[in-house]
Amino acid sequence: MNLNKVLILLILIISFIWLVVPFTMAILWSLVDPSEPWTVDKIFPPVMSFYRWNYMWENSNLKEALLNSYILAPTTALFCLILSIPTSYAFGRLNFYGKEIAKLLTLLPIVLPPFVTSIYFSSILFEIGFQYWKFGNVLIAHVVLFIPFSIRIMTVCFEQVKQDVIDAARDLSASKIEVFKTAYFPSLKSGVFASILIVFILSIEEFAIAFIIGAPDFITIPTILYSALGQDFVRPNAAVISLILVFPNVILMIFLERVLRSANPALISGK
Amino acid sequence: MKALNYLKIIALLLPGFGLILFFLGMILYVAIFQSFGLFNLSGEDNFTLQYWEKLFNRKVFYRSVNYSLYVGVISSIISVALAYPIALWLRKPFYGSIIINSILKAPLLVHGLVAAFLFVNLVAYHGIINQIFIFIGLWDEPIRMQNDKNAIGVLILQVWKNLPFALLILLGSIQSIGDDVIDAARDLGANSFARLKKIIAPLTISSMQAALIIIFIGALADFSFQSIAGPTNKYSLSQLMLYYKNNGRWHEAAGVGVTIMIISFLGAIFISYLTKFIFFGRKINEFK
Amino acid sequence: MYRKILAVFSLLSVMLYSGFTFGGSHNWDEVLAEAKKEGKVNWFQWYLVDALAEFIKPFEEEYGIDVVITQGKHTVNIDKAVAEMGRSKGDIDVLSLGFDKIPDLNMPGMFIKLSDELPKDSRTTNLAGVDAKDYAYAWWGNQSGFAYDPEKVDESKLPQTPEEIAQFWEANPGKFGFNYENGGSGPSFFQNILRVMGSADFTSGESSPEKISKLKPGIDYFNKYADKYIITAGNADSIQRISDKEIWMAPAWEDHLAGLQKRGEVRKEIKMYIPSMGMNGGGNGVAIPKNAPNPHAALVFANWLLSAETQTGFNRDFGAAPLHPEADDSSALISNSQRAYRQNWASNPFSKDLTDHFIEEVMMNR
Repeated sequence: MNLNKVLILLILIISFIWLVVPFTMAILWSLVDPSEPWTVDKIFPPVMSFYRWNYMWENSNLKEALLNSYILAPTTALFCLILSIPTSYAFGRLNFYGKEIAKLLTLLPIVLPPFVTSIYFSSILFEIGFQYWKFGNVLIAHVVLFIPFSIRIMTVCFEQVKQDVIDAARDLSASKIEVFKTAYFPSLKSGVFASILIVFILSIEEFAIAFIIGAPDFITIPTILYSALGQDFVRPNAAVISLILVFPNVILMIFLERVLRSANPALISGK
Repeated sequence: MKALNYLKIIALLLPGFGLILFFLGMILYVAIFQSFGLFNLSGEDNFTLQYWEKLFNRKVFYRSVNYSLYVGVISSIISVALAYPIALWLRKPFYGSIIINSILKAPLLVHGLVAAFLFVNLVAYHGIINQIFIFIGLWDEPIRMQNDKNAIGVLILQVWKNLPFALLILLGSIQSIGDDVIDAARDLGANSFARLKKIIAPLTISSMQAALIIIFIGALADFSFQSIAGPTNKYSLSQLMLYYKNNGRWHEAAGVGVTIMIISFLGAIFISYLTKFIFFGRKINEFK
Repeated sequence: MYRKILAVFSLLSVMLYSGFTFGGSHNWDEVLAEAKKEGKVNWFQWYLVDALAEFIKPFEEEYGIDVVITQGKHTVNIDKAVAEMGRSKGDIDVLSLGFDKIPDLNMPGMFIKLSDELPKDSRTTNLAGVDAKDYAYAWWGNQSGFAYDPEKVDESKLPQTPEEIAQFWEANPGKFGFNYENGGSGPSFFQNILRVMGSADFTSGESSPEKISKLKPGIDYFNKYADKYIITAGNADSIQRISDKEIWMAPAWEDHLAGLQKRGEVRKEIKMYIPSMGMNGGGNGVAIPKNAPNPHAALVFANWLLSAETQTGFNRDFGAAPLHPEADDSSALISNSQRAYRQNWASNPFSKDLTDHFIEEVMMNR
């Protein structure tokens, strides 16, 4: 128990350096007033104001991007999960010729460089006559790109379902639903949330597809961020955008922690 | 009956695996053929090996391969090596474990580009680290840490971003091992090391492979961390590909793209076998 | 559902109008009326996006046309235009592009000939050695030079030639930096060093291994002093480091520095000059794709961008070199006498081979 306390303390100290310090710096940078730049000889910004916050909120497409990204990402996560389950079931519980190769091939979208993928992707979508519905296009591309993660995670979950438990349930002539509840559900539950969470995060972060296929009608967070941190890099403005983008994620984190906690099998069974 | 079985499997594979095969097959087809001079965007198609020859004759190509492998290997190993013991520690809930869990996972929800930005703020010439050390009097003048030559900045960022990712995958599989299994092993007299080796490791090896492979490939193909915090005298493979593409040299860009894919595949296979070998030694078949 | 209906309608309208959209016979008043109906223009632009959004507000008010500025990297924007070439209707109404990119593009295939559609005015289509043949007009002029910190650098002895620059490096190691990617200020610098020191012909774009081998004196120069200068991550990083007092001198763009200073991002004391050995100047153009979704609004917006008043505004607010003969350029960072040192970018394929060679022989040896 004492070791645990020491470890907790250690992690708290590290995470202070890991999280608190960088964000404090970002907050300070975002408050730098344009009338005087913050140079190395000054510990704090010489003139502080909320000018940058107002300016960025008014003059950029932040609001629209936030809305788009936070609709796109959960939709992608849900589609990936639903579409991945049959394949993962086959990978995890059935034996067939060429399974290992098929498993390896599912990793394809991860190994393709995003910029090349997106350029060819947009022309393929055009070929099949699907180019006008921007949201749909980006959604399809994201689903294809991120479904390997869902498949991989869900396959692991299906593999972990214990055959003896299924057999035992069957022997006790349990209905299909009951077999699912006792044998599959405990293994799958954490995988479902892990899959949703990971795909959600990947979709929120994706830039190449969102820009090449989505622009100009469909702006996402990374599209804005990329220009703020790239060619036009202006530290105080980048700080404002970064902080605005992190805020909804913090709320989401709190929410997801609740969901994940209730999904933790060890906690549910009370052991 | 057998044919019916195969139909069932194909039907099961169609929505997930089939979707990937359809779109990515097409993209892959175009990329590979483009590296051999076909699918020319600005002229005649011409099957040729000259673009591959050009790539193989250049220092920058080998250096990029080496450098990307370095970042990929080191970041995946460090991330998983740190995440594994933490996941074991957090297996059973204890007072404060929820908070620790949230704190450790927080970087997952910070966009990679934001992370790079925050990091550069710290290590910049004008950053807080320099200011603190000068204030203490340890350094006389600021030290240049940004874009360091050994890519330590990139590695820190990769671990920062990927450790929680590995933790998420590993914790899920470690927690799904029933206490009854571990208790049984304990009752049979297995000490904690034996329990780890005989029970936990074999049951979590797939998730460990998954974490290693996904992090390796992600770090190998990294572009954003490298372009913001990486060394200025090296290109990562993605950067090199973009460099060619930005100059309208699609065939060479496709060549680099194909290289990334080949290395990723070989890396994934290598990781699978290596982890199995380390954990099971020569006894792979016994466990199956 | 709404989106679907919209998609069908836009498809229909494209079919009805195709072949007639850019007929060229209608007069400017008709264009204005049509533009108002379209009500929107998508401008693909890669730098100063937020500041420009503010700058174009008077246009939106005057014409009742919403300007949607899309954020994205320069080359990605061009790729998008190329990728969309085959479509009957694209996403891009007005595309900004560097004049140095124009020779690589199929201009007549992708863009409309602006001189056929816009009202008569003085515009620049020939810039920095590139003739866009009226498929693009320059709307933004820029010049590269050396930005420096006057507190640290003796202004009476600013280095002008490769020899003097080497002396500066020897005397102040680690205080001069340049980039070789993420912007052209560093490439302008090493291209000019290679030009001045070697014997290769920079006026022609023709390239051969022999011609590249003539660059050797400049390559040796960079390798000899490799530990005296530093490599920055890009245009913005170079200026930022001068502002942070980490380095004292770096190649930079005049408009970029002026813009950053006007918006209080970097110290206002930083100054700029063009060394007598020469630094490249250039500019960015606008072009309208043949498949622009709002073709009339695109024309009206391009016409406004290129007008004398707007060009004066760009100089006043951003430090860009005006490209309309009647525009006023009184607030520039670089003195007029130094403008004579302007050089043009080497043409392709030589320019690409030179950059490759420089990266291979200088950067990869670091």
